[in-house]
Formats: sequence, C-alpha cells, structure tokens
Amino acid sequence: MIIDQKKIDEAIETVIGYGGEHIRNCVQCGACSAVCPGVKAGFPLLCRSLIRQLLNGQLEEIIEDSSSWACQSCSRCTEICPRGVRPQEVVFAFRRYQANQLAFSTSSITSQMNLFQTGHAVFVDPKEARKKVGLPEEPPTSAYDEAAQKEIQTLINNSPMGELGLF
Amino acid sequence: MEKIGLYLGCNIPLKAPDVEQSFRKVFPVLGIEPVDLPGATCCPAWGTAPSFDRDTWCAISARNITIAEGLGVDIMTGCNSCFGIMSEAKHFLHDKATTERVNARLAEIGRKYQGTSDIYHVMHVLHDKVGCEKIRENLKYSLDGLTIAVQTGCHTLWPSDVYSTCEANPFYPVMLKELCEATGAAAPHYSRLESCCGMGGMRSTDAEKSLVIFRDKLMSMQEEIKPDIIVTACSSCYMQFDMSQPILKERGLIDFEPIPTLYYTQLLALAMGFDSSQVAAISQIDRSAIIKEIQSEKRLMKEVA
Repeated sequence: MIIDQKKIDEAIETVIGYGGEHIRNCVQCGACSAVCPGVKAGFPLLCRSLIRQLLNGQLEEIIEDSSSWACQSCSRCTEICPRGVRPQEVVFAFRRYQANQLAFSTSSITSQMNLFQTGHAVFVDPKEARKKVGLPEEPPTSAYDEAAQKEIQTLINNSPMGELGLF
Repeated sequence: MEKIGLYLGCNIPLKAPDVEQSFRKVFPVLGIEPVDLPGATCCPAWGTAPSFDRDTWCAISARNITIAEGLGVDIMTGCNSCFGIMSEAKHFLHDKATTERVNARLAEIGRKYQGTSDIYHVMHVLHDKVGCEKIRENLKYSLDGLTIAVQTGCHTLWPSDVYSTCEANPFYPVMLKELCEATGAAAPHYSRLESCCGMGGMRSTDAEKSLVIFRDKLMSMQEEIKPDIIVTACSSCYMQFDMSQPILKERGLIDFEPIPTLYYTQLLALAMGFDSSQVAAISQIDRSAIIKEIQSEKRLMKEVA
C-alpha cells in the first residue's frame, strides 16, 4: 500500500468531524480489540484494525464494509483504552461517514422510517399484548401521540438526517 | 413516596409489556412511584440518529429528558440501550457549546434542555434506592435452592465515566447478582458473566456471528453453574435469550432444553406473589414450570400486607 499523507489527513479530518476526536492518540496496542465482542465474533474492521485503516488514510476503500454496523456500542474498548482514544466513538464516527454517504444496509432504513413516523425505532402493534397483561392498549409514549410524533419529525427534518432524502 | 419518571423505550411497552407491568407492580410496594413520561420517543436507538449525526442524537435524547424535567423527576429505564444512549447524550451535553447547539434545535419544538434530571437504570433504583433488605422484607416466596445465571448486559457497565451510577468494577458486576441473591436464590459467578449476548447491531448485521458468541455465553452458564433460570437486567439480552435458545436447540447446537429467562423485575414480581398472567406472560420458551415452582406453596414465607 502506498501511504499518502493527503489521504491520511482527509481520513482523520473526516473521523474527527463525525465525533472520533481522539483517534490520533491511538498507538495500536490492541487492548480495545482484546475486549471487543465484535472482534471476537469475527467482524474484520472494528477497533484496532479499523483505526489502523483510517490512520493509513483508507476511507473510501473500506466504505462498504459492514463491520461498523455490528458494533454493539458496548464501550468495553473505551473503558479499557489506556490512551483515551474512546474507540467506540471512532467506530461510530466512521459509521456516520458511511451513513451520510448512504453506504448502509437497506434493512436499517426500516428503523429510520419507524422512528420518523411513530417515534419508535422498533414498532409493532402492541394493543393485544398489552391488553392481555392488563395494561392500557396504548402506551403513554409517542406511539399514539400525534403531537409528539410531530416534534420528532421536526427534529429529524431539520437535521442532517433530513437532508438524506430518506423521509 | 419518591416519584421517578418511567421511561419505557420501545421493546418493553411494545413487545414485552409484561415486563412493563412488572415495573408497575413491584415499585409502589417498594416505596417508589413510577410516573409516566407522556409522549416519550425512542432514546434514539444506536442504529438510528446516533449512526448519522451526534447532535441529532443529543437533541432527541434531550427532548425525552425535558419531559422528565418538566415533571421535576429523574428518569428510570429498564432498557440498557436507552440507559446507555441517554447517559452518553447527557455526557455530551455537559459541553456548553453542544448544549447551545442542541437547544437551538429544541427551540424549534418549544423545548429547552436544562440538565436537571438524572438517568437511572431499574437495577440501580432497586439496588441503591430500594436496597436488598427492603426487597427481602417484601417477598412472599423464597427462591432458596434455585440457581440463577445473571445477565447484566453491556450498557449499564461501560463506559463507566458517563454514568451517574456504576459498578465498582464494571468487568466484574455484582449489583444484579446481589439483587438475585436477595430473593433467596443462588447466583454464582460463571466465567463469561460480563460477556456480550450478541443482540443489537451485531444480530441485525450478521445473525450467524451473533449466535456464535451467544452460544459461547450460554454454554458457559450451563456447563459451569447449570442454572434453573437466566435473569437479565437488559430487555435486549432478555429477548436474545428467549428467542435464540430455541434456534440453537432446533439446530442441535445445544443438548439441553432452553433455559427459561426472566427480566429481574419479573422474577421479583413472581417472588412477591403477583399474577404471572400479568407480569410474566409473553415468551417463546415455556416458563410455566419455573413459574409454578417459584410460586409453590412450600416456598411461602408470609402473607405480604
């Protein structure tokens, strides 16, 4: 691989812009990967290996890799990192870069639509189950509350998410 | 009675309302009055706004927090993801510039984040506010002789620097273990106690990889402590244990029957004598035998007033 300083700067700037502020602290010790459930499960680009790629200036080259979406955001990495990298925030910064380039699985669009329409990322009609256990059929959440739904729609529409043309 | 805002999230009120009902039954008896947070939305889940834009995440979390602030209460949630998401948002909102940007967004819907409500998990409220002693005093049935495999879940443990309450050693959590032991049951340590169940983004990205680490955890429970019940403090872990054990069984990847799984407040509600058709009514794994065992006459301690 040819290491190109311009590409390194671009990758680091992108990651920092999306919230991975401390990526430059990484010394590749691998403590994060040692405790990462995603690494254990066999996803190739998480924690140390993802940060290595980014510090090498690889950004577009790995945009299609779905590992970052398997991150559980459990933050074992952030807890254990001796350099304050907060690797989970770097993984999420890369995920945000992917998301804003629309490089994510179509299956995740359902959650975005659910959130926008009902205020719940996971939505199933709960009425029968709630009645069965003796609760009011409608929960006191945004699920059946139009004013609350309008609020969440306003927040999303006026955000960078609203500019992606998903809604 | 101390009031606390009951933040429900998505899975509990929509898919597992028996868990919600267990909150509503046990807390008033233990001196805590859960107050509804009308119009609360998703926290927002990791796979939504947090995956696109941090300020949008903080704005949606902050909107939920403002509902509690308006009622002058703290927040309690039974979902680890909601606890993690809202705690991290609150952590980012300690930065003044972030709060200013987020409040500019909230102004569009007539709200303002103040930062006056703290975020707690159901487990924290039970362990730290109620306490094991008060739990013991309110039991109707003793769970003596039963063995529980404890599943705390990830998002109450790490990153410990953003949480208002946390374990002394998040890699060796004891709160849920102590809460389970308060019912009289044994909750022994097992080597993968703090490991991930594989639910969440991992399962939706690659269900097969998720099942591999799930099985690793399950086998550790079974081979090391052979539990009668798995008890979780996380609604996502709860769903993973209930839905994925039958898959492993069907594929011949485990040679024992799926272990019945309860959310902690369901276990407690049963031990306090509440009706299982309300507090532990929805599951794929048949829980009738363990429920009958928990509420059997030989376990009766005393009548709770």
